[in-house]
Amino acid sequence: MEPNGSGSDASRQVQVRFVTRLPPPLRVPPASMAVPSHLTRFGLSDIVNLLLKNSDPDHENQPFDFLIDGELVRMQLDEFLIAKGISAEKVLELEYVKAVAPRKQEDPRPHDDWVSAVDGSNSSFILTGCYDTFVRIWKSGDVSECTHVLEGHTGAITSAKFIDIRGVENEQNFHLVTGSKDRLLRLWKCDAAKRRGDPIRVGAYKILAGHTSSVQSVSVNPSREMICSGSWDCSIKLWDVKESEEDGDGNTISLKKRKVNSKTKESEDARLEGAATSTLVGHTQCVSVATWPDPDVLYSASWDHSVRQWDVPSGKETWTMVCGKALNCLDIGGEGSALVAAGGSDPVLRIWDPRKPGSLAPIFQYSSHSSWISACKWHPRSWFHLLSASYDGKVMLWDLRTAWPLAVMESHQDKVLCADWWKDDSVVSGGADSKLCITSGIEIQ
Amino acid sequence: MGKGKYEESSSDEEVNSSSDVVEASSDEEVESSSDEVEALSDDVESSEDESSSDNEKVEESDSSEDEVAPRNTVGDIPLVEWHKDEEHIGYDIKGRKIKKQPRKDKLASFIEGADDPKNWRKIYDEYNDEEIELTKDEIKIIQRVISGRTPHAEVNPYEDYVDWFEYEDKGHPLSNAPEPKRRFIPSKWEQKRVANLVRKIRAGLIKVSDQNKEEEHNVYSLWTDDTDSVENKKRGGYVPAPKPKLPGHEEAYNPPVEYIPTAEEINSYELMYEEDRPKFIPRRYLNYRSVPAYDKGVKESFDRCLDQYLCPRTRKKRINIDPESLKPKLPSRKDLRPYPTTCYLEYRGHMGPVNCISVDPSGQWLASGSTDGTARVWEIETGRCLKIWEVGEVARQICWNPSPDRPILAVVLEYDVLLLNSGMGDIDIQTKMKELLHISEPGATEDAGDSKSAVTWIQHEKHDGIRMKHFKAVSSIEWHFKGDYFTTVVPSGDSKAILLHQLSKKHSETPFRKLGIPVTAVFHPSKKKFFVATKKFVHVYDLSKVEKIQKLETGVREISSISIHPGGENIIVGSKEGKMCWFDLELSTRPYKTLKVHSKDITRVTFHRTYPLFASASDDCTAYVFHSTVYSDLNQNPLIVPLEILRGHKPEHGRGVLDCKYHPRQPWLFTAGADSIIKLYCH
Repeated sequence: MEPNGSGSDASRQVQVRFVTRLPPPLRVPPASMAVPSHLTRFGLSDIVNLLLKNSDPDHENQPFDFLIDGELVRMQLDEFLIAKGISAEKVLELEYVKAVAPRKQEDPRPHDDWVSAVDGSNSSFILTGCYDTFVRIWKSGDVSECTHVLEGHTGAITSAKFIDIRGVENEQNFHLVTGSKDRLLRLWKCDAAKRRGDPIRVGAYKILAGHTSSVQSVSVNPSREMICSGSWDCSIKLWDVKESEEDGDGNTISLKKRKVNSKTKESEDARLEGAATSTLVGHTQCVSVATWPDPDVLYSASWDHSVRQWDVPSGKETWTMVCGKALNCLDIGGEGSALVAAGGSDPVLRIWDPRKPGSLAPIFQYSSHSSWISACKWHPRSWFHLLSASYDGKVMLWDLRTAWPLAVMESHQDKVLCADWWKDDSVVSGGADSKLCITSGIEIQ
Repeated sequence: MGKGKYEESSSDEEVNSSSDVVEASSDEEVESSSDEVEALSDDVESSEDESSSDNEKVEESDSSEDEVAPRNTVGDIPLVEWHKDEEHIGYDIKGRKIKKQPRKDKLASFIEGADDPKNWRKIYDEYNDEEIELTKDEIKIIQRVISGRTPHAEVNPYEDYVDWFEYEDKGHPLSNAPEPKRRFIPSKWEQKRVANLVRKIRAGLIKVSDQNKEEEHNVYSLWTDDTDSVENKKRGGYVPAPKPKLPGHEEAYNPPVEYIPTAEEINSYELMYEEDRPKFIPRRYLNYRSVPAYDKGVKESFDRCLDQYLCPRTRKKRINIDPESLKPKLPSRKDLRPYPTTCYLEYRGHMGPVNCISVDPSGQWLASGSTDGTARVWEIETGRCLKIWEVGEVARQICWNPSPDRPILAVVLEYDVLLLNSGMGDIDIQTKMKELLHISEPGATEDAGDSKSAVTWIQHEKHDGIRMKHFKAVSSIEWHFKGDYFTTVVPSGDSKAILLHQLSKKHSETPFRKLGIPVTAVFHPSKKKFFVATKKFVHVYDLSKVEKIQKLETGVREISSISIHPGGENIIVGSKEGKMCWFDLELSTRPYKTLKVHSKDITRVTFHRTYPLFASASDDCTAYVFHSTVYSDLNQNPLIVPLEILRGHKPEHGRGVLDCKYHPRQPWLFTAGADSIIKLYCH
């Protein structure tokens, strides 16, 4: 660095060393080198690609992202150093990771109405709930194929979840739960056997009644034996599905009978109704989300502007955090699966750390959206990545290590109502344009 | 002599502003003519000529009464030239021509003159064309004038001095009398008076102050500027002219570089106003010699004179008050959060202006009625339209039943009020609602007595509800907070203008009489009180006794809507001229505060049920959000703070925002626009 700087900024250089945790073919020699300080991540990416090509002529160029002290570089190198107050005299260690960006937009799966719920926890099937009261199961693959249609609800589906994914790979039964605006939860079972032709129509084997207003969200506990549901009646109800599964084993055959004779449906449904094992009361307004990430801990977000943590065995709330906005979505994940991400009636995605004592201020705030946030999901395996969907029609990918979104997916023409990760490298989202959009090729190591 | 006469008249002429040229030429003419006519006249004659002219002048200056009026009246014209070939020389006073005298032969006249011993006294008057013989007196006058004496012998220029003051018998002005005795002895009365004063001073009745002993300084500062002195200020008199600015470095012939404006600066001066432009632009000169004369010097001193002479300098009394301190002390908007600020959701679907909206008591659903003949229910969360009723007429107002276990919508059409089952709520509630909205005997609902045929309750088959047929057009509807009673207003209904209905009994009555033309009516949120707004007043009734308690004078032209604070003691009234009045029922029957915020009609004012907020919607396409804290302490007045102007709706046929309602539990505001969109503003 010349102090008198008769040369332009281009002549300024920074000593850097590229390090990575990527597997060997993507490793560059650890020697330090001088690079122009006005480079952005694209320029740095070119350098890394060039180095890789030197050692391996077959290397294909690919974008990289660069981390300095655990923060993603999102501006010119010198600006970044000034902003962070890092000395440019020392050799700078640049850790590079594969850039996270969507690479492929798959054909949207058309629905008859707004897609309001989606679950991507199964690697070969996608579960969607729709405003036309049907729940659909889509098989992965290039062809948009709906394998099952679950019918029975009388209101729009608000939430749909796979309870058990054990048997899916073995082409056994699905076990599903759905919540709807008709105040009921329904449990479904259907076999995943592949069949050609029209989608299989399935009815619920059990109805979980108890909420007095529309069910907003359903969540399954880690042991896959209990589910919880949040509703407009301000309560969270816990339901036991293990037991009912045993009961239901005998009933799977009777499903077809019911389908044929729809007149007797009501009486049969009444027989198969289940009741809540317990109710958690405390919220004063609509419970928009309840998630159950830990066997004993349950989190809920509500329109009364609060996020609450519940101790399941005692049924008491153990932590309350008021954020000032009505909340629509909540997810637990990140570092130690303990960070709380929530979005609601404003364009800001906030992340709290409940482990931090004495502070209820969010540790991260992302405000690139322009309307309500309808969904947020942590990546199932990464500590840093999460996605958010908003009524402005955008799905955004976030990395905790930078304040800018990694990627903005504008595949929807209307509000995005739900979004989820799928197969670790794809994002599925449903919206008011009646489409299920799948964006794949998002590599997160 | 003719010349003298002429001179006199020409001098007259001169006074009468004739030109010098004409005079000069006429003079020459005169001279030449006299040469012609009196070639033989001698020196004496000419001298006589002069003297006579002098004489006449003097006479004229003294008095003009002895002057003979000339015969000829032609005036001062060059006679010789103009009348040379004429037979007359002019006109007499009566307008008759004066004939020329026959010309005498020169020889004959000479002989005549030689014969006549008095010939030397004769002179020819050309103007009147006659010969004049001078008398002896006249000759004498001429001679006296020539010799430099006074023309008239009888005038004495050296008369004796007459003294005006008379000295005789006046005597000496001072008296010679001896001094009286009283001059030498002390005065008795004075002594008494002094003794009196001394006594009073000793008694302390009179206080002698030492202040008067201080001598007043007679000296004054000659050179100080006394314009700031108290006396000058008191008189309001002389105010000195402002002092001109002293020259600085920039006026030097070779000022430092930093004083020299750059070319851009000079160019920027061109864009300035004349007044703001700098009067002097510093320039550099090589030496003092090359500095040109200051071209504006004269103009500037003239301007300064003008300024000193014309500028009315008066002292303006200026009070030094910080304008900020005059503003009412309002809390910061930040401290009053949350309140609606931004529009995030829009509810689209109506095909015409949305006249009315209503939010369900749980805050999950939104009902709207529109000019397109539909009533709709929306999901607030997502903006989805859930239900559409084709009511066929313009839905004027829509209202959710405030009771959560009665999800009934009341829709006001032209003459009808529809009670519709919204279909929300679980099965138990639905069955109850079906029972409630069923009329078994259509005949039995016909109410005898008071309201007679004012309202007819009919089962509505198409929408599975109740149709309440009113006898005249209905303007508004309002539910009682318990959800069983409701009121409808029929503005042209005279004594049946306010109707109270009971849903469970399907019964209607008209408890109030003689109200004028009511606009709207609302129930008190907790007590048995009832508010009826007519065009200019708000009447407060006690429902249990059916009597008037209060009459609020709004002072506005026409009330459009009213809203009651959830506490029940404060009312806001919106008017059609854009004014809003806040009434504190315990304070006065006049407005506590009148807010003029909207430029067009206010269509709706509304309070929030739980947050200290209220809002107004207007046809000027804006909705205003206000903060309103009502204190339980009676001594403290309500605090009203304007918070936010919500824009976004587009005008349609001169109408803007037609309705606004708060979400019952969130600080969110719904606005319905004439552009057929409903917007949700969130905090």
